[in-house]
Amino acid sequence: MTGLLCKAIFAGYKRGLRNQREHTALLKVEGVYTREEVDFYLGKRCAYVYKAKKNTVTPGGKPNKTRVIWGKVMRAHGNSGMVRAKFSSNLPAKAMGHRCRIFYPTLPDLNYTANP
Amino acid sequence: MAEGDKKKVAKKAHCSRNPVLARGIGRYSRTAMYARRAMYKRKTKTTETKIEKKMKVKTPSTITKTVGGDKNGGTRVVKIRKMPRYYPTEDVPHKLKNHGKKPFSQHKRNLRATITPGTVLVLLTGRHRGKVRSHTDSFVTQSPSCFLHPLGPLALNRVPLRRAHQKFVIATATKVDISGMKIPKTLSDAYFKKKRLRRPRHQEGEIFDTEKEKYQLTVQRKEDQKAVDSQLLPLIKKVPQLKGYLRSSFCLSNGVYPHKLVF
Repeated sequence: MTGLLCKAIFAGYKRGLRNQREHTALLKVEGVYTREEVDFYLGKRCAYVYKAKKNTVTPGGKPNKTRVIWGKVMRAHGNSGMVRAKFSSNLPAKAMGHRCRIFYPTLPDLNYTANP
Repeated sequence: MAEGDKKKVAKKAHCSRNPVLARGIGRYSRTAMYARRAMYKRKTKTTETKIEKKMKVKTPSTITKTVGGDKNGGTRVVKIRKMPRYYPTEDVPHKLKNHGKKPFSQHKRNLRATITPGTVLVLLTGRHRGKVRSHTDSFVTQSPSCFLHPLGPLALNRVPLRRAHQKFVIATATKVDISGMKIPKTLSDAYFKKKRLRRPRHQEGEIFDTEKEKYQLTVQRKEDQKAVDSQLLPLIKKVPQLKGYLRSSFCLSNGVYPHKLVF
């Protein structure tokens, strides 16, 4: 499935130096190192995928051990291509340093004028 | 000032002559705008003459209906707009009507400018994700949803006639010239809509016996597919390498980042 997704790393939570806000995660997207490049990824869906011991239902497949926390890229963070994302539930701290995936909806066109 | 112009020339609408200071607040007052837009020159409606007033048809307030049943044969006069048969004891204040809040089905759908008939699209979701296919249009503007109608063609990449949502699609700059293509009229939103397979109502002892109907490929779909494909394939063959392109899948690989790609 790497065919259609972008890789990102969960770098940490949004934070001041001494307090962190776990509701927003910071993601470092591979290949994106400036704030202008981030524009492309805004609004994209992202997912933290992990495995657990018990089988759970998988849509469109047999129940397996994979689980997902879904989220969305909200905005840019800083000038070097980091991104803020909010997930349906806060990411677990053990995910720090681990892979997050970013994908659809639309990869926007250059002449994108519509509001779907 | 085109004085010699007796005909009414359809003039291009000017952009707003009232620059915006802040949202909802314009620079010029109402009277100033009247002068700026030269409304004094644009009074078109003269007062109605008496004859015109008479010509206006009034909707009748009563209707004569024939009486059936017991007192058959006669006619009675019935009011069209009847008095309410119930008056609440307390006056309930009327809710303000919503302005411009349309139900989803009536929402305006915009189509991305880059998606035109004949554009090659990359599907991003669904069974056929990653597949590259060409897109026909004509229903797109008609369809009240923003669905697209991409075709495979089936022979090249096993993607059948199916709807796709424009949000889940990348439009590439590649185009196939399909202006000559004729698309069967049957293809429309309703045709493609998923059929709700209604479970039979609960009957005694058959509660767990629901037959889940699978999607059956209808003959009509196959025929439509063939009709469209047969027109599309020769057009594709004309363009060098397009055939191979449509067969391949779109994929990101190492070091390939979508924000850097030009589609």
